[in-house]
Amino acid sequence: MTARIPVTVLTGFLGAGKTTLVNRILSENHGQRIAVIENEFGEVGVDHELVIGADEEIFETSNGCICCTVRGDLIRILGQLRKRRDRFDSVLIETTGLADPGPVAQTFFVDEELKEHYALDAIVTLVDARHIEQELRGSPIAAEQIAFADVIVLNKIDLVDAAELARIERRLRSISASAQLILSRNADVPLQRVLGLHAFDLARALAHDSAFLEAARPFEWAGLYRLAPGRHALRTGAQHHHDHDHDHDHDQDHEHAQAHDNDRAHHDGHDDHGHDHGTSLKQVDVVLLPAADTTAAAIDALLDSASALFAGEPVTAAPGALLGPGRRHRLQLAPGAQFQLDTAAPASDCWALFSEHAPEEFGLRLPGATALQQREFGSHHHDLDVGSIGLTDPRPLDPNKVNDWLSYLLQSRGADILRMKGVLNLKGEARRYVFHGVHMTFDGQLERAWSADAQRCSRLVFIGRKLDRQELEAGFESCIA
Amino acid sequence: MSAVPGRLRPRERIELGDYPVDAAWSGDGRALAIAGGEGQLLLLSPDAPAPQVIGRHAGGVLAVSWQPAGRLLASSGQDGVVQLWDARTSSATILHSGKAWSEQLAFADHGKLLALASGRTLRLFEIKAEPQGRFQVQPRDSFDDHAGAIAALAWRPKGQQIAAAGNGGVRIHRVGSPAASIDYPWRGACLTASWNADGRLLAAGMQDGSVHLWNVASGDESEIPGLGSKVFATGWSASGRFLAAAAGSVLVAWDFNRKGTDAMQPIELRAHSERLTALAFRPSGSWLVSAARDRRLLLWRVGSASEPQDAHLLIDDCTLLRFSRDGARLAVGDARGGITLYDCGP
Repeated sequence: MTARIPVTVLTGFLGAGKTTLVNRILSENHGQRIAVIENEFGEVGVDHELVIGADEEIFETSNGCICCTVRGDLIRILGQLRKRRDRFDSVLIETTGLADPGPVAQTFFVDEELKEHYALDAIVTLVDARHIEQELRGSPIAAEQIAFADVIVLNKIDLVDAAELARIERRLRSISASAQLILSRNADVPLQRVLGLHAFDLARALAHDSAFLEAARPFEWAGLYRLAPGRHALRTGAQHHHDHDHDHDHDQDHEHAQAHDNDRAHHDGHDDHGHDHGTSLKQVDVVLLPAADTTAAAIDALLDSASALFAGEPVTAAPGALLGPGRRHRLQLAPGAQFQLDTAAPASDCWALFSEHAPEEFGLRLPGATALQQREFGSHHHDLDVGSIGLTDPRPLDPNKVNDWLSYLLQSRGADILRMKGVLNLKGEARRYVFHGVHMTFDGQLERAWSADAQRCSRLVFIGRKLDRQELEAGFESCIA
Repeated sequence: MSAVPGRLRPRERIELGDYPVDAAWSGDGRALAIAGGEGQLLLLSPDAPAPQVIGRHAGGVLAVSWQPAGRLLASSGQDGVVQLWDARTSSATILHSGKAWSEQLAFADHGKLLALASGRTLRLFEIKAEPQGRFQVQPRDSFDDHAGAIAALAWRPKGQQIAAAGNGGVRIHRVGSPAASIDYPWRGACLTASWNADGRLLAAGMQDGSVHLWNVASGDESEIPGLGSKVFATGWSASGRFLAAAAGSVLVAWDFNRKGTDAMQPIELRAHSERLTALAFRPSGSWLVSAARDRRLLLWRVGSASEPQDAHLLIDDCTLLRFSRDGARLAVGDARGGITLYDCGP
């Protein structure tokens, strides 16, 4: 049985640099023969023998009982292309600027002939750093192209400044928790980072236990502190929208008012950074946990526990409330609101604070303590419909309940779930169950056994529109054996 | 040596050096033109021991159609070119050239019209015989308002009409009367189009695993759902009594002579264990030949027996099945790059 031909889908708005990248792939590809299919008859080397112009045609078909959309022209063209026997090694499909990558991806899951001969390798989205924020405001397709990506090439980074770049990266991460993000200037990415990725190969893609889920945690930030047993103030203040560090003495209580005024004066002196202001936060969830030490590994060790706590019922905390460890506290924010961290437990003096939102978004600080380690986990932007939700749980799942839940999701929310992937710990099964899906199409299999020393844990990530974390958590919870 | 009755008798396998995408027999059944996936247009004829390359299309040849009882061979390729090759003079002329592929080509039975489907546009050309053995080709009608790319073309028997099927249904055009096109919309993607013998019924195989039937005479239509995967081939027996369809590993036929509640009960022809790749009814009688990825070539007598009557093992996946017009020979293409000719028993 001959190996399937890998297919790379390249998407992104006009001007993002797709043509440049395609030309590079065609000229630099060291003996690999690539058939390029494109809709816009751009400046892709038209004398290149294997460039085929396609008249994009999307239609609905049913995949058994679920209706999904596919690219009819690709079915025909790819059906013909494979008859060239040994003339090419892979296919690159360049989609039009405003294309929805969903139908392209689904085509490879729905058509029997294509499934036999082709393997979707990866969806690569090219993003123009200069225009992406505008594009995200202007069209839902921009966010969707990012949400679908296995690799996001953030291009033209030389045309934006460091602060903008950081902001854009966080924005992209908030949409897709699992995509690889690569920066480039003139689409100068190393080709091995966009081709031959096997992103849809169940056996390969999800081989790494946690890499793909790092950013899809329910909290955006974690900090490690050394706090003596007792009570410690946790301050929330005026909202800061600036990304850069302030070297102010915010930390002395008695100078609070003075420092605050200094702050304000300092801020007034800044140029307008042209920030995209999010909605004002009225509340934020936090979790406090004892940590083993103050190394970065201590945060790692707590990620799953913290995630699990974020799934629990939140306790409302009015200003002045005492925040004990091991609970999800919902801080009610008001200007100058202060809370008390209760670190009375004698176990250690190392503590990790996990916050739903980045500290800058609500002025979080601990006067009298400095975070010895900090970690960011991607951010939520409330004005964007498209985002990622990650779920994790160490408890074994009932395979039948999982099947019911996933079927239900595909049927009822398939249109909104752009991508999903996961590794599941099934009760009574020694092997990991890995799966991925694009809209209503779904592919899953049991692959290798859980390694003896790793903690068995299910991890899933959903990337889509208007996803409800609580709904997904409840559904996942119902699958626990 | 004559062929054994009710059997297919293979002759030698001919190595083409190319992947046979399409093939067409000349009207007299003596020559076979083959569209090669690597770009060669090949001719197998009794006078030449090996296949001759009579033309090329950069990128690959998509389709060939032979003028019935005539000498012109039309071919289209991935270079967007449609050309006419004259068997008498061995010369070719370009009929049409464009960015879009002309994936479907069909000569009408009388040989005077050639239809090309390029994306959403259907073009008709008229071929006029001239004195001294010359011929003239004139563009005729052009129909470009199809809802989707045309996936299949089928000339209606006994008439001057042609069906163009694709995503969104079927449109039937009348030669010379662009205003008389009739739309038969259907929310699905048609992959095939086949007329029965008297031209009343048009069957289309659909991407979603159903077969759609239009009764052009009465205006009725019906859907036969549930074949399980896309219906990539449909065909009517010579008399129009049976309709066969292939979808995945499923091969079924329907007997249109049946009446009453049993009318649309499918005749299940179960023998292939893997996905079917080709299907063809013989131009006379009720022989049906099928091939699948299990590399078996099976002969069925639809309506007489539910078991195959003959079986042959192929060297690789079958890419095409073409009966000559008189039904005496069957060309079988394989994915390894060859054609095997079979003699057909009475």
